[in-house]
Amino acid sequence: MRILSLTLVLCLLAAFSNGQTHKVQKEKEKEKKVKPKREDNYIRLKGLRFGMDVTRPFQYLWTKGDRYGTEFSGDLEISPNLFPVFESGYEFMKIKTSYVDYSGQGSYSRFGLDYNFLQAENKNDKNILYGGLRYGFAFASQKVNNYLIDSYWGPTTGSFSNQNYFAQWGELLLGMKGEVFHNFYMGWSIRFKIQLNNKAIGYPPAYFIPGFGKAANGSNFDLTYSVYYNIPWDFRKNIGVKKPKAIVVKPKSVKKPVVKKPVLKKLTD
Amino acid sequence: MKQFLLLITILFIASACKEIYELPPQAMLQATITNPTTNLPMTSKVTYKGIGRDSIWVSATSVNLITFPLSTKETTSFVVSFDATVDTISFNHTSTQKYGSMETGFYYEYKLKSINSTHHRILSIDITDSLVTTIWHENIKLNISPLPSGGV
Repeated sequence: MRILSLTLVLCLLAAFSNGQTHKVQKEKEKEKKVKPKREDNYIRLKGLRFGMDVTRPFQYLWTKGDRYGTEFSGDLEISPNLFPVFESGYEFMKIKTSYVDYSGQGSYSRFGLDYNFLQAENKNDKNILYGGLRYGFAFASQKVNNYLIDSYWGPTTGSFSNQNYFAQWGELLLGMKGEVFHNFYMGWSIRFKIQLNNKAIGYPPAYFIPGFGKAANGSNFDLTYSVYYNIPWDFRKNIGVKKPKAIVVKPKSVKKPVVKKPVLKKLTD
Repeated sequence: MKQFLLLITILFIASACKEIYELPPQAMLQATITNPTTNLPMTSKVTYKGIGRDSIWVSATSVNLITFPLSTKETTSFVVSFDATVDTISFNHTSTQKYGSMETGFYYEYKLKSINSTHHRILSIDITDSLVTTIWHENIKLNISPLPSGGV
């Protein structure tokens, strides 16, 4: 009986010690998992950075139809590694086949945020690898100048007058920006665009959304390549720092101590 | 700079692979030539053309499936010769313009309302699906009398 109870006690002790070692191991693992905090908590990009997408005029090379345009962007590092971005542009789309002569055009804008994942080695390291979100919208118009439906019974022709429409979409993007020369940057981004619920414009439906692509697709992929210039003007220096007012220190009027002259009483007899 | 050159190269390769525009789709009325006694498709040497058109649509072809291109008018009529026996078929229908895309263009789809025909070889016509779309499928059954020699 004694042997049995001793064995039980030993087993319990073994289980307890095992549990303890597990706890210690888990705590150690937790310590390991805790990522070290970023040390680059400083603003590297002083001032505004303006950019131009060099791929926009050449989109006809990889899309159907004659698509071209221009796009400009602006961003700034509002807080360490966080960049609010504004992009705006204008695009044209033309398709001319034996059956359709189509033209669409319009302006678009996007705004959103980029977050830099790449830790800087020092304050001069301005290269960033970022992920971003955008909200985009476009004001566009389209026109079918002429169409032809060929048939055994003879062709049918027609046209559709100008249609104006508004469209909106969201974007998820991944990209890089690197400083190639002092204050000059280059960078690319891959974008996944998702169309948000847009109003139907009637017949024919919207074919092309500037800044988004084919409207019939609920989502589109896009690639951009831009050149940037950072205006080397640190606006932060002038924000929140009030110029000290010139303090005119007036010398206190020093009152001369009034020395009362002793009144000499005439000694009278 | 290397990245930029690589991108330019990719763009030129992509432009070389640019797709060619597809032709607009066409809606066709499809008819199955049927032997009414067996209710099975039967082959016949068919020639037919639209009334008011000079060109023949199909000439002397042994088939059991034939397609009719419909017009945008309310009635489309054809003269059909089944093994040298001529009949006239008139389709009464509505037509609706449809949008494919700006790449493929526009096309028409139809809805059959009724069919009239002469009965030299045609015994009867059954409408199996009144919607004539770009996805070709059987719309009618042309029940024709078999040849005395038994052309099945």
